[in-house]
Amino acid sequence: MIDEKDLAIHPLVPESIQHNNLTLSQLRNLSASLFGVAAGILGLESYPGFIFYLVGTLLVSALVYLFPAKREPKRYFQGGLWELIEKDVLNGLMSFVLTWTLFFGLVSA
Amino acid sequence: MAQALTQTIYRDPALFYWILFPITVVMILTGILRHYGTVLLQAAPKKEDIKGRRETRSLLRGITLRNNAPVLSRSSFQARKNYIIPAYQSGQFLKDPDAKGQPPPNPMTDPAGMEQMMGMMKGNMATMIPQTLIMSWINSFFSGFIIMKLPFPLTIRFKSMLQSGVATRDLDVRWVSSLSWYFLNLFGLQSIFTFILGNDNAANQMAAQMAQMNPGAGAGGLFAPGQDPDKMFQNEAENLEVLEHWTVLDGVEERLLDDLDIV
Repeated sequence: MIDEKDLAIHPLVPESIQHNNLTLSQLRNLSASLFGVAAGILGLESYPGFIFYLVGTLLVSALVYLFPAKREPKRYFQGGLWELIEKDVLNGLMSFVLTWTLFFGLVSA
Repeated sequence: MAQALTQTIYRDPALFYWILFPITVVMILTGILRHYGTVLLQAAPKKEDIKGRRETRSLLRGITLRNNAPVLSRSSFQARKNYIIPAYQSGQFLKDPDAKGQPPPNPMTDPAGMEQMMGMMKGNMATMIPQTLIMSWINSFFSGFIIMKLPFPLTIRFKSMLQSGVATRDLDVRWVSSLSWYFLNLFGLQSIFTFILGNDNAANQMAAQMAQMNPGAGAGGLFAPGQDPDKMFQNEAENLEVLEHWTVLDGVEERLLDDLDIV
């Protein structure tokens, strides 16, 4: 929890926060769909598929941490590294399942 | 192990071209239609008369003052407070000062309230109609056979929903009919709409339903219908009265020296 006093001394610009979140969520959505395509083509079923998604998401988080965030996630996200990792993971899961199912069906038909 | 035996069903690949792709395309197009329909249906903001505008703006001014009080020095905060609080308490900014103390108008008869209700109704319609239409379209056209196998297992409870119209008792739940592809689309297409229509689109039905659950969270007006503006002014005056003022400049010298590492 951020202190009210700290917030007044180091003010946050809501537009910038929104922009950062938007960038991250677009990246997540796109990568989730592509992971779904990959998992479907690889023919992964049940747990391996979900684990594939988790590993892929972690990989994307690591890349975001290294390159756009330049190893300083606190500068870009209020909650620091954890917020960078867990944001939009569940949202992406939906699109992952969609493309996974589609390509799994297409390949195994 | 009874489960070791996996069931295989040979399906015509044409199932994909004639069922899977049409449903997906229809869902995407419906989302786009919904988005533009909502944009069209949005009523243009009504012109407000100058008194009403003054009422909302002056209340907002009090709230902004309260939120940003640390930026002001003590004397200027005091000066603003001394101006705002008596004006609030005497009802100087009210739209019609004569209505002070009277019970608020019934939201059902108040024209402003009616307009808001109409907006909500329109939003409701835009969600409900396509959903019902597509569900019944899929049910009447594509029910009664299996189209695909899910890549993950589900519990037996989903059988009646996902295999509707397929009367086989022992079929694995992973084989599903077209309705479940519809559900997958319903949940999973949000990201695609984000790419097509931009971020704050109105295409997704799930998001729209979420918004209906808590309408207060949206960009509602400051004055909900049925709320007494005079009471809100009194409340705000009280909030300002009890606010304990401090400025960001308190102790700024120490902080600066700390940052510079001079000490």
